[in-house]
Amino acid sequence: MRITQRAVALTSLQGLNRNLDAVGRYQRQLTSGRLINAPSDSPTGTNRAMQTRSDQAAVAQQARNIGDAKSWLDQTDSTLQEMLDTARRVRDLTVQGASTGSNSGPSAQAIATEVSSLREGLLSLANRQIGGRPLFGGVTPGPQAYDASGTYVGLAGPPVTRRVSDTEVVRVDTSGPVAFGPAGADIFAIADSIATDVVGNPAALQTHLTDLDNVMKSMQTALADVGARAARVEREEQANSDRSLTLSSRLAETENIDLPNTIMRLQMQQTGYEAALNATAKALQPTLLDYLR
Amino acid sequence: MSSTFSGLNAATTSLWAQRKALDVTGQNISNVNTEGYSRQRVDLAAMGGSVVPAFFSTSPGIGNGVNADDVTRIRDAFLESRGHTEHANSARLTVENETYTQVEEAFREPGDTGIQNLLSDMWSGWEDVANQPQDEAARGQVLKRLETLVGGIHFSQDALGAQWTQSRESLDVLVSDVNAAAANIADLNKAILRANQSGLPANDLSDQRDVLVMKLADQVGATVRHGDDGVVDVIVGGMTLVAGSTAGSLATAGTTSVDGVTADPPRIVTGSGGYTVRVGGTAEGQLNSLNTIIPNYRKAMDDTAVSLANALNAAHVSGYDLNGAAGTPLLGSSSGPITAASLTVLISDPRLIAASSVAPTAGVPALDHGNADAIAQLRQSTTGTDANYRKMIVELGVQSAVAGRNLDIQSVISTQVDSARESVAGVNIDEEMTNMLSYQHAYAAAGRLITAIDETLDKLINGTGRVGL
Repeated sequence: MRITQRAVALTSLQGLNRNLDAVGRYQRQLTSGRLINAPSDSPTGTNRAMQTRSDQAAVAQQARNIGDAKSWLDQTDSTLQEMLDTARRVRDLTVQGASTGSNSGPSAQAIATEVSSLREGLLSLANRQIGGRPLFGGVTPGPQAYDASGTYVGLAGPPVTRRVSDTEVVRVDTSGPVAFGPAGADIFAIADSIATDVVGNPAALQTHLTDLDNVMKSMQTALADVGARAARVEREEQANSDRSLTLSSRLAETENIDLPNTIMRLQMQQTGYEAALNATAKALQPTLLDYLR
Repeated sequence: MSSTFSGLNAATTSLWAQRKALDVTGQNISNVNTEGYSRQRVDLAAMGGSVVPAFFSTSPGIGNGVNADDVTRIRDAFLESRGHTEHANSARLTVENETYTQVEEAFREPGDTGIQNLLSDMWSGWEDVANQPQDEAARGQVLKRLETLVGGIHFSQDALGAQWTQSRESLDVLVSDVNAAAANIADLNKAILRANQSGLPANDLSDQRDVLVMKLADQVGATVRHGDDGVVDVIVGGMTLVAGSTAGSLATAGTTSVDGVTADPPRIVTGSGGYTVRVGGTAEGQLNSLNTIIPNYRKAMDDTAVSLANALNAAHVSGYDLNGAAGTPLLGSSSGPITAASLTVLISDPRLIAASSVAPTAGVPALDHGNADAIAQLRQSTTGTDANYRKMIVELGVQSAVAGRNLDIQSVISTQVDSARESVAGVNIDEEMTNMLSYQHAYAAAGRLITAIDETLDKLINGTGRVGL
């Protein structure tokens, strides 16, 4: 076959270009640190990367949701604890008032005053807010769960929940009437009756004591419930941070380059390129001209 | 019996012939790197005596030297036409590959700036609203993220539209370029015809014309039909663009707006008559991207916009806003039906976001978050916007990768054909050097022959009959 210098030059140029293109590709991967710069670099990798990124965004949001759920549950927990302490003090005072029997006058009056003020304390605790919402008010848009007279002004509705994973939601609120007893027989009404009856009708105190015990029991149940939910949120938090780590490493695996591997490949490609350059220079240079005298 | 001086004459023809051959060698060497140059060769032919023996024939039958009238241009017509086809394929695939690359750039995936990321941000915004339904800041934020997402969709769609317009303009430029080249080819054909008719060499004109033909093969997939006297006709998609020394013309027809592709697709037609021509080469690639590739991805973006609007609106109207009123559609169109270009956010008041899933009780709106959470969960839908968008990007990746691979393969084939053409038509310096040596030696030998005859005659004229002097 007849071969001409230009034909050799053409094919050599193509080989050189292909080598240089490969060098350029590795160079680009190294400088951007990314294996996939366009969907065509790896369609399946692109799919994985996009899916992973979207999952990462969801997991990050769920981590925020979990933080929010924890603060609701912690707040509810401490509020219920404080209210239980106050309720115990009311109970002590009631027992004191009932056992003294006939003690009318100043000491009964003192008990009545203290119980009234404890009731105020209970009310303000029951109206405690988080982010402008009352903890025990259900879905009320208003700032309070109970008004000054102790009437429940919250709004019953669907429970307030937080999404802690793709599939799980955790309830974070506690309904006032469930924790503190139904309207008219709740802890505020009982405290009110105690304050009145300790002066006027000590005989009725025994009934109030039973009612108070019942309400305290339901408060303890609510507290236990909150604790159980907090434990569940903690577990989800652990799972969430595990998932977040897995996703980051999966994204890195898909999108990022393997540094030693890529450097090595670049080195090899560069060596190949230099060899090709050398060979081309040697093949193109000589003609018969160099040997004719 | 030959004439006394016929030997001198034969030697002189040899001197002329070798000089001409050396000239041609010089021309070949000068054009070793000229694009489209075909090497030339002097056809040397022995000048015979009388071919037909006759009774009174006086020829000794040795011949009268050498003739070097013809200079031929060496070129393989089959390889040339193969070259036309492969060049056209290569040009088409190059344009298609570039189009896919630009479409990929318009979507900026995978990365932090793509639509996928904007979608994720928007869904997360809904969960923030679910966490804080009373907080107008969270509500405002989700509206802003929705606007950013709509902006991102507009941006990608505009980028595709700009790409389309640019391709459409370059199609016009390409056609006027083709028409100019066709006119040039017709002129060259005329010159070649005249030269050949008057017996003058037209090799270099033919080279110039063949370069132009190759350019047309690249641009519109032209092929040639060889005629008499070295003239060629240029044929594009079955239509004769250049017939001898008359050139026809092409023109573009069809819409110049990306929205009119279905009704009036861009196409290339004949300059007179307006018949659609099936072109190849760059023009075919450009028509493919104008009529198929770019409109397909714009359509996919429109579908994305519609599915996003439908999903969000359906979920949003089933909820209740902060004032207790039922939700209204979130996304709509600025004019006409919903498309990726006309998509717009209809709500600007954060209070109107329907986060609650329960109706107001006795006029009191509930501070519920059920609907916001339900909207945030749309991201997981396997038939939702996210999934479909991902599918589209993966398909784009596959098609773009295929286009790239096809181009790689085609460039190998094209280079091989080019180097085969070059092997036949190109100049080999070694060969020219060898030829030069042979012609040089032949010239020297012819000179020596003249000297020999001269000395012989000298002996005859000056030495004969001078015995004893």
